Amino acid sequence: MSTTSQKHRNFVSEPMADKPVTALAGIGDRLGHSLTEQGYDKAYVVLGQFLLLRKDTELFCYWLKDVTAANSKQADDCAQCLKDWCDAFL
Amino acid sequence: MASLDNKSPQEISDLLDEYGIKHGPVVGTTKSLYVKKLKEAMAKGKKAKPSSDKTYYREEEEEVTYVYRTPSKSETSGDGGSYMRSRREWAEGEYGHDTSYSSYSSSRPEYKGRDLVDEPYMYDTPSTYSSNSYAKPMKSEPVKPKAQKSSRLIPLWLQFVFFLALAAFLYLVFSNMEANEAIKGIV
Repeated sequence: MSTTSQKHRNFVSEPMADKPVTALAGIGDRLGHSLTEQGYDKAYVVLGQFLLLRKDTELFCYWLKDVTAANSKQADDCAQCLKDWCDAFL
Repeated sequence: MASLDNKSPQEISDLLDEYGIKHGPVVGTTKSLYVKKLKEAMAKGKKAKPSSDKTYYREEEEEVTYVYRTPSKSETSGDGGSYMRSRREWAEGEYGHDTSYSSYSSSRPEYKGRDLVDEPYMYDTPSTYSSNSYAKPMKSEPVKPKAQKSSRLIPLWLQFVFFLALAAFLYLVFSNMEANEAIKGIV
């Protein structure tokens, strides 16, 4: 709970259900739009990608930066958010 | 390294395993990522193909015996007989102590290899008479623990002497300190 944002805490506090991808920490409107265009419209689709990469945050960051114009911080936040969610619910 | 992009997912998976990189399935979305990772790993010149190095290390440690062992070592997985014979011949040619070794072996059927010097040769007679199966797994194990016997740089008694000297020195310092009431009784 040290440096997580409110968005992070909100996301990790419950099953993601059908939340849009912008509900992920680090993913704002711009990135969310970019992801949606590529087919990653829901948070669970991005989760799917994270799981495919064996929940490796480093690889996930690579991927996210590759696929969108995310910077390191955004990618790290998103990866950490997903990881924590998995730790709690998966 | 453009050829990496043209490799099949299976090949990429194999390459990742060679570099010891843990990975998930190589699918459409992950392929370019893993290709990138492989390029990084190759650039760093990481531990590619670590398979055969281990045997070389062991051979260096036990150089006396193993120098001759190298050609036969690779074939000994199924057949222990021929390599047993080659060791035996070599050892006996060097020493000619057949009788002393057989007496050793009779008193100590399981070779734990107590002597450092004689140790390599100990393997021959016990192994040949006990069984072939001992030779391979036991071969390198007994050497390692016994090799540590002579590994002290400073002998133990010398360490004790230093410790006592230090303790005496500290006591002297302590006793010559300016006295508080509490200490007076001790000095």
